[in-house]
Amino acid sequence: MKVNVQLREDGDMLRGKIEGEIDTFTAPILRDELETITIGKYSLIELNLSNVNYMDSTGIGVFVGFYKKVNREEGKLKLTQLSDRLTRLFEITGLNELMDIETHKKVELSDGNF
Amino acid sequence: MQYEKILSDYLKNQSEENLYIGQNYIRQLIQKNITPEEVINIHKQAVEQLHGTLPKYVEHAYDFLIEVMVYYGLKVKEHQSLLMKQEELRIEMDIATKIQNLMLKTNIPKLNQIDVGMVSVPVRKMNGDYVYFLQDDGHHVSVAVTDVVGKGVPAALCMSMVKYGLDTLEFANNNPSYVLEVLNRIIEKSVDDSMFVSLFYGRFDVENNIFTYGSAGHEPALYYNAKENKFYDLESKGLLLGILPEVKYRQSEIHLNDGDFIIMLTDGVTEFRKLEELDSRQLIREIAMKCKHLNAQQMCDELYKQLLSYQNYQLEDDFTVVILKK
Amino acid sequence: MSEKSIVEIVTEWDIVTARQQGRNEAKAIGFTTVDQARIATAISELAKNIYLYASEGDIIIERLKEKNRIGIAITAIDKGPGIANLQSVLEDSFSNSGSSSVGIPAVKRLMDKLDIESEVGKGTKVRIEKWLKR
Repeated sequence: MKVNVQLREDGDMLRGKIEGEIDTFTAPILRDELETITIGKYSLIELNLSNVNYMDSTGIGVFVGFYKKVNREEGKLKLTQLSDRLTRLFEITGLNELMDIETHKKVELSDGNF
Repeated sequence: MQYEKILSDYLKNQSEENLYIGQNYIRQLIQKNITPEEVINIHKQAVEQLHGTLPKYVEHAYDFLIEVMVYYGLKVKEHQSLLMKQEELRIEMDIATKIQNLMLKTNIPKLNQIDVGMVSVPVRKMNGDYVYFLQDDGHHVSVAVTDVVGKGVPAALCMSMVKYGLDTLEFANNNPSYVLEVLNRIIEKSVDDSMFVSLFYGRFDVENNIFTYGSAGHEPALYYNAKENKFYDLESKGLLLGILPEVKYRQSEIHLNDGDFIIMLTDGVTEFRKLEELDSRQLIREIAMKCKHLNAQQMCDELYKQLLSYQNYQLEDDFTVVILKK
Repeated sequence: MSEKSIVEIVTEWDIVTARQQGRNEAKAIGFTTVDQARIATAISELAKNIYLYASEGDIIIERLKEKNRIGIAITAIDKGPGIANLQSVLEDSFSNSGSSSVGIPAVKRLMDKLDIESEVGKGTKVRIEKWLKR
């Protein structure tokens, strides 16, 4: 069970990619990595969760904690490419109305009839 | 040096006895916290004394081994230190569990008008789920099903906050909207940024058979309507407790007729980590359909038994299910 | 009075240079083979941390002299991201145990003394000492 965080500056934005599983064991690692971000530096912090295979409520805890910190320091946070499962988790907890969440984009395939 | 003597004996006679004596000696060194690289150095010096000057390549081979053993020894020490930490955590958990058992005892209400059953099984020593029942004034019975994130003493204390919050609301207006609003304020003030609680609260009007409910970030309850022979999800979108200081919560109500039942659960029941493709809510509906002739407690037991076997008899999260049956 | 030598850590090879310097100094001071190995390992871990997390920094190696003992001091200094939670870095933890470095608690075990200062966004300074009884 591992989690991996990659952070990359893109102009005045910070792009992050989180991969792996976020649970009781790996959540502290994720939290520590997010702690190293200097929030005030960036106009937007965007975290891509497309390769997050699993997340439970401890993962939610890390994101909520980080979201609150970003808010306090007047930054902006966006979570993108959430799987259906992750999207549901954020919906049930009501966090999708509070935080800026973007679900993964489904590829639209035309059936070629028109 | 004693090591030299023991080694010398073994070199003369490779007996089991000499090996045994050697291992006993090492035990003493371990007790004195002699590191692996030092042991190899002792060995190297002993060999030099017994053999005379070693060929250069043998000496280098030993130096190389000493060097790499430093790292090996560090990892061993780290491992030992982590084991000790684990033991300390276990003791803390025991305390938290005792707190929980003392303060948070749950009694399942027994009424004529509605049948109540419950199963709540923790995956480890301390239960992160908590069920609260309240039978007030004879007209209502209320139930709160909650799931606290985090473990150990902080989670136990958070749960006790929920309990005391609910206790103080006992004689006040206990509409789900109001209950959730108040609990949210209490929890938001007192917990740290990454701790929060999901809670489903329902109040059953015993005389009019009306079930009023509201949810704060909790798994939606399942409602079975006997007349239509159909399941519904009791959705009530609301934010988890403890995140924002002022939150308003919706509430809804349904009328319960004979044969109807409501299944409240926590995500330990619906989250199957290893079986992602499984639609757990559908599975629960199927199991409930098959055993709906049983009483509420039996239905809970049956759900637990079957879902446990789906998970190969190993729970991944605390499992809580409460059934209200007319 | 102390004699200093500085090794800049930029590439992974610099870690090896720092180890070599440290070992040479330790040998000159009179440390045993085993202690030389420990000092070299400690330098290696600190230099690796600089290389992995700060991308560049310095390893400063000094001889120490007091009334009845002599020793060696190594300071690892960088302008990297800094450590947010110093307390967690000073403890053995499960998240460290899988990683490629041993962490600060291990370096502390190899030496006699360890001091650490760090500020998020500014950098980190770790100073370790080992003494030889005369």
